[in-house]
Amino acid sequence: MSLKPTAVLLASGLAAATWSGAAFAAGPTCPDGSIKLGAISTITGPADFSEVPKAAKTMYDAVNRAGGVNGCKIDYEIADDKADPQVAAQAARDFIDNKKVVAMTGGASLLECAVNAPTYKRANVMSVHGLGVDPVCFNSPNIAPVNVGPYTLTTAMGLFATNKLKVKNLCAMFIIIGGTQEAYKAAIARWEQLTGQKAKLVDLTVPISGDYTPFVIKARDAGCDAVISNAIEPGVVAWVKTADAQKIGGINWLFLAPGYTVEVAKTLADSKQPIYAGTEWEPYTDRNSPANKDWIAAMNAGKRPLTAFSQGGYLSAEVMLDVIKSIDGPVTRDSINKALASMKPKSYPLAGSPYVFGTADRHAPMQSTKVVKLEKGAWTVETKDWLVVPAK
Amino acid sequence: MPGGQARPAISGLMMNLYLTAAVAGLAAGGAYALLGVCAVFTYRLVSVVNFVGAAIGAAGAFAFAMLVEQGLPIGVGALAGVIVGAAVGIGVGAIVTKWFAESPASTKAAVAVALLVGLAAIGLRITGGQHPHDFPELIRGSAFRLAGVEVTNASVATLALAVLFTLAANLFLDRSHTGLQLRALSERPVAAELIGIPVHVLSLWVWGVGGAATALALIIIAPQRAPNFLALSLLVVPALAAALIGFFRNFWVTLVGGVAMGMIEGLASVIPGLGEYRTALPFLVILAVLLWSQRGARWDDAR
Repeated sequence: MSLKPTAVLLASGLAAATWSGAAFAAGPTCPDGSIKLGAISTITGPADFSEVPKAAKTMYDAVNRAGGVNGCKIDYEIADDKADPQVAAQAARDFIDNKKVVAMTGGASLLECAVNAPTYKRANVMSVHGLGVDPVCFNSPNIAPVNVGPYTLTTAMGLFATNKLKVKNLCAMFIIIGGTQEAYKAAIARWEQLTGQKAKLVDLTVPISGDYTPFVIKARDAGCDAVISNAIEPGVVAWVKTADAQKIGGINWLFLAPGYTVEVAKTLADSKQPIYAGTEWEPYTDRNSPANKDWIAAMNAGKRPLTAFSQGGYLSAEVMLDVIKSIDGPVTRDSINKALASMKPKSYPLAGSPYVFGTADRHAPMQSTKVVKLEKGAWTVETKDWLVVPAK
Repeated sequence: MPGGQARPAISGLMMNLYLTAAVAGLAAGGAYALLGVCAVFTYRLVSVVNFVGAAIGAAGAFAFAMLVEQGLPIGVGALAGVIVGAAVGIGVGAIVTKWFAESPASTKAAVAVALLVGLAAIGLRITGGQHPHDFPELIRGSAFRLAGVEVTNASVATLALAVLFTLAANLFLDRSHTGLQLRALSERPVAAELIGIPVHVLSLWVWGVGGAATALALIIIAPQRAPNFLALSLLVVPALAAALIGFFRNFWVTLVGGVAMGMIEGLASVIPGLGEYRTALPFLVILAVLLWSQRGARWDDAR
């Protein structure tokens, strides 16, 4: 009988430890009564990314309703940059100087990284972006997005074409906006380095809208077996319909994450072209996937739509909450930065690569995609396992 | 190769490459020509540089797509789209004729630009921004193959429609009484009103017909374009460049100019170093035409 008390003690200790790791440690505290976080997003203007920070807000609201993180409420604010650099810069200054945020999280904007990266660096503020779009999002010491991004995705789709589709002649036809040219060129160079092949054709002059007939003809006559394109939704539709009108066959059309929407699938239901798209996270249209379970439950509870954008917001909030929970003592800009710098890579069901911030002078932790294929008006998952872009 | 033709051997013959590229630009050229002719029509009859023309047509085209999505038959949807185009055209015309009938041409052009911005913003909201709509093909299939390019029935129809509009507009303006009245209206609106021409009603007719024609044009063109309200509305830029080639007077020159611009754009996509600037082509054309038109002018006259 002398064993019994020890066993009970052990068991209860174990239970307590699994119940809450923070129960023994001091855990995060908040002298001001709340933890201030901010997001800058393009909401009005040529594109609407607001679904990303709104999903993050849903997460923080749920945490707050349950009493906050160790009693600390999350005070999360979203600012609209209207795709205007001046407004974006103003929003960052407001968050940093007036609202005194401890970190940025859940941001998703056409240009915010490019505009505000120097400001974040000066003020020593870090951002766990929900959706990095412009190249600076992946080239700043202060920003580490939770998404793969168009550049790594370009390399990944190239690898998919070479390794899975056994494509010999890969072509890349890109719409270049702002300062994205170098990033796309680097992505293609990375694919060339990994496979030892050369792209058959690289055209960086595709217009964002217009008649694509000359371009699909050019791809055909160059002998492309697969074409990677970064067209956004309406462009994807125009591109494929033009290929159909030109009776082109035998070319695999590979699009990036912006092409992966339910509307595109419905619109192109009649096309016979082989159409693939790379995803930023676990394919959101796969409602039965166990990896999507928690995200779906959280979005349904918060009455938010189940889109790829809401996956980004959800994941950025998950990361930020984990980082905050790992802090002992007051949550300040410094303690958050320290926690981000020293964090261990952490895996999340929604993503194929572990997320880590660290101290590098640039961050692109997410290096994995799953490829979806358009079949009969719906997207089906083509790669059951994550397709990871090797580091070398 | 499944479902496709054998690829032409990549020959060293650059001529072939250029011919293919030029033919590939034909679809765009037909669209520019058709919209350009519509722009000349509006300018000659109500003397407005119609920046908002393509946006009016886009409203009709999107009405068509959205009605067909609701289950309407394609033919009925197209008719409804044309009617919506006419209605929006009359609406825009009512604004211009009611408040700006006697304003100088530059003011009217500025009003048209403002209306374009407004209409595009409203259109983007209503049509769901970047989410594409399924534009059913009113005219399917391809007519023939030329230089390795499928020339679609829609392209042929666009060109045929442009020729038809040109013929009709010329006949109407030169041979009919109403045409004569309309010319009077556009040149001297006050005098025309004084001699008893129903200025207001006639103007609205012009806007309505212009809107219907542009809507029909865009319904045919849209299935192979990015189905985005703003993108369709901005087709007005190459259209106006085409109209300028015809000095906003000559329908035939406008027609040829529009087609030529499309083909040059096609060519630009295969000439290394030129591709980046292909969207700037309409502006270069506008600039060249303006310089050419001023070639005889001396400093004092041109000022």
